[in-house]
Amino acid sequence: MTQENRSGRPQGRPPEGDSRLTRTESQLRGPFLLFFISSVIWLLAASVLGVIAALQQGSLAGGPFRDCEILTYGHVAAAQHNLFVYGWGFNAFFALNLWLLSQLGRFELRNGWLATLGGVFWNLALTYGVVLIFAGNQTGFALLEFPREVGPVLAVAFLLAGFWPIVAFARRPTGHTFASQWFVVAASFAFPLTYLLAQLLILWQPASGVVQAIAHSWFVSNLLHLWFGASALAAVYYFLPKVLGRTISGYYLAPVAFWSFVLFAGWTGPSALIGAPVPLWLQSVGVVACAMLIIPVIITAINFHGTLSSEGGWSRAWNDTTLRFVSFGAVAFTLFGVLNTVFGFRGYNSVVRFTSFAAGQEQLLTYAFASMVLFGATYFVLPRLTGSRWPSAKLVHVHFWATALGAIATIIALLVGGWENGKQLADASVSFQQVAKAGSTWNAVLSVSAVLLLVGHVAFALNAFGMILKSSAPASAGRHD
Amino acid sequence: MNDRNRHPDNNRPRRGPSGAGSEGPSDGRLVEVHSQLSRDKDEPAEGFSLTPIFIVFLFCGFGFWAGLYLTQNSGNFAPSAFDLNAPKAAVAGGPVAFEPDAAKGEKLFLANCAACHQATGLGVPGAFPPLAKSAWVAGSEERVIKAILAGLAGEIEVNGVKYNGNMPNIGAGLKDAQIAHIATYVRQAWGNTAEPVMDTKVAEVRKAIGNRAQYIPADLLKEHPLETK
Ligand code: HEC
Repeated sequence: MTQENRSGRPQGRPPEGDSRLTRTESQLRGPFLLFFISSVIWLLAASVLGVIAALQQGSLAGGPFRDCEILTYGHVAAAQHNLFVYGWGFNAFFALNLWLLSQLGRFELRNGWLATLGGVFWNLALTYGVVLIFAGNQTGFALLEFPREVGPVLAVAFLLAGFWPIVAFARRPTGHTFASQWFVVAASFAFPLTYLLAQLLILWQPASGVVQAIAHSWFVSNLLHLWFGASALAAVYYFLPKVLGRTISGYYLAPVAFWSFVLFAGWTGPSALIGAPVPLWLQSVGVVACAMLIIPVIITAINFHGTLSSEGGWSRAWNDTTLRFVSFGAVAFTLFGVLNTVFGFRGYNSVVRFTSFAAGQEQLLTYAFASMVLFGATYFVLPRLTGSRWPSAKLVHVHFWATALGAIATIIALLVGGWENGKQLADASVSFQQVAKAGSTWNAVLSVSAVLLLVGHVAFALNAFGMILKSSAPASAGRHD
Repeated sequence: MNDRNRHPDNNRPRRGPSGAGSEGPSDGRLVEVHSQLSRDKDEPAEGFSLTPIFIVFLFCGFGFWAGLYLTQNSGNFAPSAFDLNAPKAAVAGGPVAFEPDAAKGEKLFLANCAACHQATGLGVPGAFPPLAKSAWVAGSEERVIKAILAGLAGEIEVNGVKYNGNMPNIGAGLKDAQIAHIATYVRQAWGNTAEPVMDTKVAEVRKAIGNRAQYIPADLLKEHPLETK
């Protein structure tokens, strides 16, 4: 590609097509749109399943679908979880990470068809896995529910689709690097490694039960922190200075945040096994890792909130669609980190063990943080790649308020409901009926917020697909200003 | 991050600001400005900032705490310590909670008993009676403990076969815990399925029988009749 550049073509503008696109962006437009469109479709599917699952959980009689064997809660919840994580989270970050590192490294994606191929494989394997889940064929390990033959396909697809950010990083033109690049590179390395190892230890060469449990907790913590967490942190580090037009405050601390994050995040898993027959020192390592994770959380808080606090940053963020979502996510991450540390400790952990609390923490990380950041990023990137505007400002508002309120309600219900539930379970004087009754209020909240999230996602999808269609329609090609 | 020694590649043509350029700095500038920031660690020079020093101390404190927590809550890093409360005694130097361990029992059996009863537990016909499927071994744990502690001499019938031999008081030279491991192994090996034996039980029996002579099998049976034939 250096050959091309030396040939003296005017730089920064693609030779053909949309005049607003840089060469970098026009090269990755195809794969980006494939990843993005699939991610939104999966997000919609997951939200519909989320509503069904919430209704089922809310009514003791089994909800409106109790006679339908395919739609039992076990199937729906597992499919929802996997579609949200592998369908939405992965496709969307494939797109964003690729775009981000291409931008920062001025990388021109030449073999875009490889990424596209990876995306196709990824989504086919995902579809196959979800169909099998509905057919009643799933393993007992959360986020590894797909039958084991799906694993290798997903791994290969990841290498094809998700490895480009690393290539872009390796080929960057200058020696300078930026925080976003470190985080994306870490995410792109960490996932395939942990996924393959977990597959091997749990599904292909099953180790003993305890080792499986340890491997599983390790995999889940890596997936959540190092894929969702690191990728979304990368995006926040990019969009704050980019949109506000200023530097990150306390940026000199960012390398410490990065190294401490990748160092400790992977070790937090065993804290989920407190009380299980797992060697004590491993449990304690998990507790310590959760506590030490406060270091990157403090630094990112200084970086993000410091940047937002100076010179009316917050009000500017509020008035900018991208930043409104991104700063929502940044606040959620700080909250997540604090909760993670506090509830890593044995005393608190023992209260919320076996309750919905952990699900609440996961939602805080994967939805309130990562997904909101992804939404914000989309509002920034998509108009540039399609060359058109968002069709409806009203839908943007619906999207923000529905998802923000839905996320807050979901997370409060899971966290507070889990806490209450744990207190009651530990108290022998509370009967099981009472416990179930107390939980039903929170289940109602969960059902309503699942509907809210669905509404928000539909608004988002309508807007995004409208924009993509508009830009690909030939009539509108010359219309944008 | 290790970019101190590297120079921007000047051969590559510079790009103009990417995208519409309406928002924020160009990406190239964004990277450069920040990498400058992280190298010089220069916040705007309005006096001396306490933040970095405070943060360093804070993080050192965290590290110190982490080390402390790990050493105090890890059951000496023993792979068999699962419960926070049990191993605390071990850290304080107190007695470790006993767990009958058939694997340890097997080693001790091979060293102390296998010469006569054989590693297979089948004994030697006419000389040493079998322990495998022996009714003497199953049932009352006190019978086995007594046999090991004081030994046996005289006529004995095991699995319908009569023996008349002499088993010395091997247990007298073994610790309570060792005897408990051996007895547990013997009661669970070769198809035997009796309960494990605790060291406290051995201590109890040792105290009760004192320093006595070998048992005559018939006498031992009077104290602890066979539960099964
Ligand atoms: C020196 C050889 C010798 C050694 C060593 C020995 N035994 Fe024995 N054991 C005998 C003989 C001989 C008898 C039969 C005694 C009799 O005839 O009264 C016997 C009988 C027994 C019996 C009761 C009969 C049966 O077969 O169930 C038990 C139980 C037993 N031994 C356990 C042990 C254990 C456990 C050890 C190791 C700590 C051990 N013995 C070591 C020779 C030995």
